Amino acid sequence: MRYYLMERWQPRRGRGRGRGSYSSSSQTQSNNFRPSNTSNHPTTRKPTPNHISSKINIKQDDNDLEDLPNLTGSCSYMCPVEERIQRERLRDLAIFERLNGNPSQSSSTLAVKKFCRTISTKDVRNVDLRPVLVLEDTLNHLLNVFGSKSQPFEVIHDFIFDRTRSIRQDLSMQGIVTGDQAIGIYERIVKFHIISQHKLQRNYVNSNPNVSPMHHLNMEQLTKTLSSLYHLYDQTRKPNPEFYSFYVLLHLGSDHQPTGESLSLWFRKLPFSVMKSKEMMFARRLLRYSRFGNYKQFLDTIDSEASGLQYYVLEPYVCDVRAFGLSCLNHGGYKLNPYPLVDVSKHLFMEESDVESFCKDCGLDTYTSEDGTKFMPAKQTSFCSPKGPRKYYPMVSERLKTLYDEAPEII
Amino acid sequence: MASYMSMGEAHRRITDYLNRFVDVISYQDGTSLKHLLSLSSESPSFLALADALNLFQDANRLIKQADKYSQYAEIVAPLFRAMQSYRVGHLVESYQAFEKSANAFIQEFRNWESAWALEALYVVVYEIRILAEKADRELASNGKTPEKLKAAGSFLMKVFGVLAGKGPKRVGALYVTCQLFKVYFKLGTVHLCRSVIRSIETARIFDFEEFPVRDKVTYMYYTGRLEVLNENFPAADHKLSYALKHCDPQSEANIRMILKYLVPVKLSIGILPKKALLEKYTLVEYSDIVLAMKRGDLRLLRHALEEHEDRFLRSGVYLVLEKLELQVYQRLVKKIYIIQKQKDPSKAHQIKLEMIVKALKWLEMEMDLDEVECIMSILIYKNLVKGYFAHKSKVAVLSKQDPFPKLNGKPINS
Repeated sequence: MRYYLMERWQPRRGRGRGRGSYSSSSQTQSNNFRPSNTSNHPTTRKPTPNHISSKINIKQDDNDLEDLPNLTGSCSYMCPVEERIQRERLRDLAIFERLNGNPSQSSSTLAVKKFCRTISTKDVRNVDLRPVLVLEDTLNHLLNVFGSKSQPFEVIHDFIFDRTRSIRQDLSMQGIVTGDQAIGIYERIVKFHIISQHKLQRNYVNSNPNVSPMHHLNMEQLTKTLSSLYHLYDQTRKPNPEFYSFYVLLHLGSDHQPTGESLSLWFRKLPFSVMKSKEMMFARRLLRYSRFGNYKQFLDTIDSEASGLQYYVLEPYVCDVRAFGLSCLNHGGYKLNPYPLVDVSKHLFMEESDVESFCKDCGLDTYTSEDGTKFMPAKQTSFCSPKGPRKYYPMVSERLKTLYDEAPEII
Repeated sequence: MASYMSMGEAHRRITDYLNRFVDVISYQDGTSLKHLLSLSSESPSFLALADALNLFQDANRLIKQADKYSQYAEIVAPLFRAMQSYRVGHLVESYQAFEKSANAFIQEFRNWESAWALEALYVVVYEIRILAEKADRELASNGKTPEKLKAAGSFLMKVFGVLAGKGPKRVGALYVTCQLFKVYFKLGTVHLCRSVIRSIETARIFDFEEFPVRDKVTYMYYTGRLEVLNENFPAADHKLSYALKHCDPQSEANIRMILKYLVPVKLSIGILPKKALLEKYTLVEYSDIVLAMKRGDLRLLRHALEEHEDRFLRSGVYLVLEKLELQVYQRLVKKIYIIQKQKDPSKAHQIKLEMIVKALKWLEMEMDLDEVECIMSILIYKNLVKGYFAHKSKVAVLSKQDPFPKLNGKPINS
């Protein structure tokens, strides 16, 4: 095969066979990683730390889309036949692609084209690219797998992560910048990344330290997909404000600059109608509270207005904001007036029992009085930001409870 | 295009231009050369020449007629085409031809040892940018992707490279830098400014003080704006203040542009402009904000932000102004303190949270005690208020010494 480089498809030794674990795609992700050409935000230039490949000759810049040859995909399968045959031969099939569990047998209804990192655009042929309608069907199939729960989540995530990246690559190589189907595809992939982020974070916190690099990579692809989506919104003038709101929410917190571009600059480019949409006003209000430090209204607004997906994006910041709130209460409080934990719980939208635990996470002591009431003394000097994986304390919110207990549907 | 010219006259105009072109170069007359290169000025002589070219149609033959003309054919032939296209409103074609001409011009410029043609180079650089903007407008109106301004940016980087050497031409680098800034700001690709800034500020061949004042002012204006976008207030203050100080005092439009960004920066570090200044430079959009800060009137601040929202968003200062809320709260609490002090000085430093709720209600802002406690805790944490609050008795107890520390030109720590 002229351009499918062997090194990407080494059959996995040890990990692959008979243990029900995932395809080599994850191995290719964890070394020599480099942002793909698919949906590069024009202003993002930061390579992932420690993972820089020298082999890329893919066009990096979104703005160079006009320079791509006019390719029109003609592959009518989820996976080009040549690739499927080769991978069957090499026993390089993800568990979801195996026919009856056979590691060297797939089918046209199971095999899905892999993401191809080391390809040069001049080598791409029309028969290897899938047209939009096929990509839509492919995505439908992948999202079924996503909801299947047949494997541990990391295995499912890894597979979908790689295959959706391939979908985006096909779209980008065909220079598809218009059309409702393309928008729908990107939007659903965004939703996948957001829900995955939520699940990966939970898993990271609860047990598996190996998951951590994955959610950093997931975040990176989320921002890339968003930026491709915005490009389409610009071309078609059919913006969906909720998807713009995600971008703002990802920038909460002073050190969160996932795209390296200041929000003020980003706001300049947006149509005023988007800026004034309900979802963007929500996100902007949270931004204001976050920059002010107004932890109470920050949490209150989330309680009353966040959508399920927005909440998933916000989750990591909720912890930061609560820590800040606790710090303020501790710092400004009166030594002779310790806080009843029940009052703190109102400020932080937490259960009282969780407050006790959270105080410990932040290095603060609590005590129980004779009548059983729990207090947190003020002016403690031992406050520190919670380190390590963030423990998840649910928001005390009837409205949100229903939203976050079940993952939102990606229709 | 009306053509009241005769063929003979057209012929004469073209050869006159060619002769002038050749003479000006041989006499190294930079000032005259620049006049020969400006399309967008649309001077009568340019318009007449363009008409002549369109009438005559075969200027290339004239250029080839004499060696003294043909040595500059690569500059002049595309330049003529650019003029012709410009005259009939084909701006994309005009840009493309002009870029070709400019390329050839740069090659010649490289060979001229002294910096005599720098002024002419400035004109070429300026025209590249202006023509590219016009070309992009034409593309956009035809439903195509605008791409000429981006190409202009690449071209200007090339020019920058030509000037970045040890000789006397290097003082032109800052002008080109400023044109690049304008391109990048217009395109929104502001991050590209970084590399050229690095070259100016760290390369040993450049001495900032050697550059012309006009260029230094423009440079500081744009780099100051970048600092505002990144909310580095001390740096923004330094750069924009420099621009203001060295700006031509007659140039009110430029002063206004600098102040547009400097005012929010100063506000962020607690320095309020005088009303007279805002009026003189018609910066009325900031009047209510300043008033809100003086009065501690949150409602007015929010209202002012909403009224000029689009304008503030477009200039990129909205988020900066929004954050002034902290200082407005500080002012409000201070006012309550002052009123209490007048009534009973011994008790002034104790402010019931209930009082703050009342004051906010009077400003038509509904907040409960918990929220006010939250706000007070933040003000104390950020050192805008010195003191503590007693949770049980719902009272804020202020320090007797300097309970409302001034910012003193420093931004609020987060």
